[in-house]
Amino acid sequence: MRMGRRLGLLLLAFGAGWGSPALAYDRAQIATQACSGAAGLSEAAATLTAGASSATPEDAAWAARLTGALLDKTIRCGAGASTIESPSGSVDAATLAKAAPAEGPAPVLSLKNRPLVETARAAATLFAGATAGDRATALRALERRAASLPPELFETAAAREPDAGLKEQILGVGQSALLNSPDVAKRIAAIERIAAQPSRRAETQIAALKSDPAYAKQPAFAAAVDAGLASIDRWLRVSSVANTLYNGLSFASILFMAAVGLAIIFGLMGVINLAQGEFIMLGAYVTYAVQETLRAVAPGLLDWYLILAIPVVFLVVAAVGVALEATLVRRLYTRPLMTLLATWAVSLLIVNLVRVGVGTQNLQFVTPSWLAGGKLLVGDFIVTWNRLFAIVFAGVTLVATWAVLKRTPLGLNIRAVTQNRAMAGCIGVPTRRVDMMAFGLGSGLAGLAGLALCPIYNVNPQMGSNFVIDSFMVVVLGGVGTLAGTVVAALGVGQINVLIEPLYGAVAAKVIVLLMIVGFLQWRPEGLYAVKGRRK
Amino acid sequence: MSIFTRRTFLQTSGAVAAGAALPLGAPAFIRSANAADTVKLGCLFSSSGTMANLEGRLNYVAKMAAAEINAAGGVNGKTVEVVASDPASDWPLYAQVGRQMLTETKVAALFGCWTSVSRKTVLPVVEQNDGLLFYPLHFEGDENSKNVVYVNSPPASSVLPAVDYLMSPDGVEAKRFFMIGSDYVWPRTINKQLKGYWKSKGIEETAWKEEYVPFSFSNFQTLVNQVRAFADAPGGKCVVVLTVVGSSIPDFLREFANQGITATDVPILGLDMVEADLEGLDTKKLVGHLNCWAYLQQAKGEANTKFLSGWKDFVAKEKVPFSADVAIDPMVSTYDAVHLWAMAAKKAGSFDVPEVRKAFAGLSFDCPSGYKIAMTAENNYVSRGVFIGSVNESQGFDVLWQSKDAPKPVPMSPFG
Repeated sequence: MRMGRRLGLLLLAFGAGWGSPALAYDRAQIATQACSGAAGLSEAAATLTAGASSATPEDAAWAARLTGALLDKTIRCGAGASTIESPSGSVDAATLAKAAPAEGPAPVLSLKNRPLVETARAAATLFAGATAGDRATALRALERRAASLPPELFETAAAREPDAGLKEQILGVGQSALLNSPDVAKRIAAIERIAAQPSRRAETQIAALKSDPAYAKQPAFAAAVDAGLASIDRWLRVSSVANTLYNGLSFASILFMAAVGLAIIFGLMGVINLAQGEFIMLGAYVTYAVQETLRAVAPGLLDWYLILAIPVVFLVVAAVGVALEATLVRRLYTRPLMTLLATWAVSLLIVNLVRVGVGTQNLQFVTPSWLAGGKLLVGDFIVTWNRLFAIVFAGVTLVATWAVLKRTPLGLNIRAVTQNRAMAGCIGVPTRRVDMMAFGLGSGLAGLAGLALCPIYNVNPQMGSNFVIDSFMVVVLGGVGTLAGTVVAALGVGQINVLIEPLYGAVAAKVIVLLMIVGFLQWRPEGLYAVKGRRK
Repeated sequence: MSIFTRRTFLQTSGAVAAGAALPLGAPAFIRSANAADTVKLGCLFSSSGTMANLEGRLNYVAKMAAAEINAAGGVNGKTVEVVASDPASDWPLYAQVGRQMLTETKVAALFGCWTSVSRKTVLPVVEQNDGLLFYPLHFEGDENSKNVVYVNSPPASSVLPAVDYLMSPDGVEAKRFFMIGSDYVWPRTINKQLKGYWKSKGIEETAWKEEYVPFSFSNFQTLVNQVRAFADAPGGKCVVVLTVVGSSIPDFLREFANQGITATDVPILGLDMVEADLEGLDTKKLVGHLNCWAYLQQAKGEANTKFLSGWKDFVAKEKVPFSADVAIDPMVSTYDAVHLWAMAAKKAGSFDVPEVRKAFAGLSFDCPSGYKIAMTAENNYVSRGVFIGSVNESQGFDVLWQSKDAPKPVPMSPFG
């Protein structure tokens, strides 16, 4: 029965007129092997990869299905035949015919088997992928292991590829698979191709060729290796600078977001608000509430909850801030030490309320598809989307805050009250209301910081305490009362931290930065930017 | 309910308030109980601060084990009562609360501590008062006190088998190692021993790199960049040995995945990584990373089924603020610890620490992990099985490898 079927497949393959005689997989054996433990599984995956270029389209589709089931753990390894689960019912792993589901678990892929199975799936998908997109994804997965794959794989795949653009790409990847080919011209082409995508991995790969016999004998080959290494080295240096700048900028954006609310509350109003970190935490929790509401009401918009939450978070946390100002802080403007203790008490209260009300666990945030992962730009320089989001968000917040302070009547009033409260009151500025609004603005901004931190940090009741010291540090260093100072201080601290970290470690970096700040404030106690006007 | 703040705890750590606030099965009974027919066990697990999410659940497991023992008739004719506390992830406070429990609350035994630094602060307290501390975490070893019961494994029966697996052809034939840890005694000692171990295997010193970060550090961008650079350098497969603790673990994993590194490129061996650390992470990109413990939730066997359903019922009945579907090694170790104590006390016919300690020799218990765990007269270590887990897509761990039997624990490491 099985022989007949295989013969039929063979005939079918010849009938379809493939250039080379297609070799059908022994499906039943491979399926059994895949279920027979770690060693069998690696063998099955190796057979599938080796045979991918000569398999019939049906076999390639089956191989993709089987390896996919192994990776997704939808395969069931029973005592007899194994089956693949799918929404439309289970099928036999060898024949793909409908079958009763086998009883048994899916094999756990070890770290050794996982890449083999992934490669087998990518190789099969390169032939059997339904869309050009699927095949392009498979090609990208194969590209990283190109040197270990048979060159025919890419040649055959390119010959069969209907999409002209993708065909070009497959041929390109195929070139880098020829690094160990007997033909020197092909090897040189492969070196050039690998060097065109500079990374440390490529550097290691090409540097290894220096010990190749051809390096000593063939000047053209040696020249290609040296040129390739030089070019990779250049790009790696560029990318390491880019990495440092990006990491510094991303750390600075977090520091700035944490500090901008405080820059208004402490910087402009002079209130030492130790509950600032808890406002950040509340912002993150409100974001979570928005996410859960969207999940229940409009699941289609869930991907955009971070954007939709912006006004909600700002208003809710600002309202909490206004309430705090009206009930507590207002009565203590003349007694800074009391404010410090009172706001600390408030911070403990908020933390414990959240802990009792929501729990101590980390909140589960959906990572929107547009924030997951990153893009490799050049060399080893990766732009991660969640960090980029924080940087852009900080930039937008900066512009908005600046506009509010400099371009609106509220901002004018805040600045007037800051510079001379008594005089501002005399000319009719409602100082009490301005205080309340400013406190609300500062709290709302802290809430937005919580929102921006959601995709980066863990959100739990204790998260706020991590940010209080950092934010005071930035505000004091920048110069109390100036937004520009906060920006420059955040950029400086972020960048210096990132520069020191690889040299002396993260613990020392923190110490060194704090020492530098203490030293700087000894020399210039008013901070980077001294505010003009009268201070009380 | 039982969540004390630090202040209220200090004010009311007397037995009266604790008894009234405990959500044990029979509140009416507990209220009428007096010191004559109950025996108290003390818990030193934080429900606030950086360790709260992990340690908090251990209070409830201890209560669950006590409820099981009470349902079977108690110990030596007395009901077991668990007194919880909150040392607030503040290491010196563990010692203070522990002393109070021993001298004022008069607990028969202490169950507690997660980080080694907290255990080290409690150590002199239990030694001075001749108390007993059951410590449920795998740890750095190199300690052998008669007042501490090491319920979980020292490195020789947890970390080293896992590293051996990674270096073997079945693993990834790891040749190079990037160690990242929080800056305190456990990661530093573990890494010191690992380096000694690798040296004994003839691995060059250039094949490893060591970095430490402060507690609750979260900005891992630069470190992950360094890992990528180190991993892509020549010399063989690189693995990350991760000994950061608390909230740093998920932060590190997130950055690692975002920078596009998968377990097949650079596997992470997370020594303190449990299911609870994966909450809130998209684990599809983390599939394949490893941890090693003496218990994994997917362990086979009747004891595990019983434990998991028992925990589920307990969570529902007592409205425990932790997930009913997640069981981690320290939970099982705490559960084992309470049962081991009860068995020893029963065997000794007394609650006196010297008598109970004498009774440890020869005890054995069917642990939910599926292994029969045992104690000897030699020391207070418990022999446990070894599991290596692999992160799966549903925020849990699959059992990748497990030891044939429970190896005999070696307290002192020969590797530095």
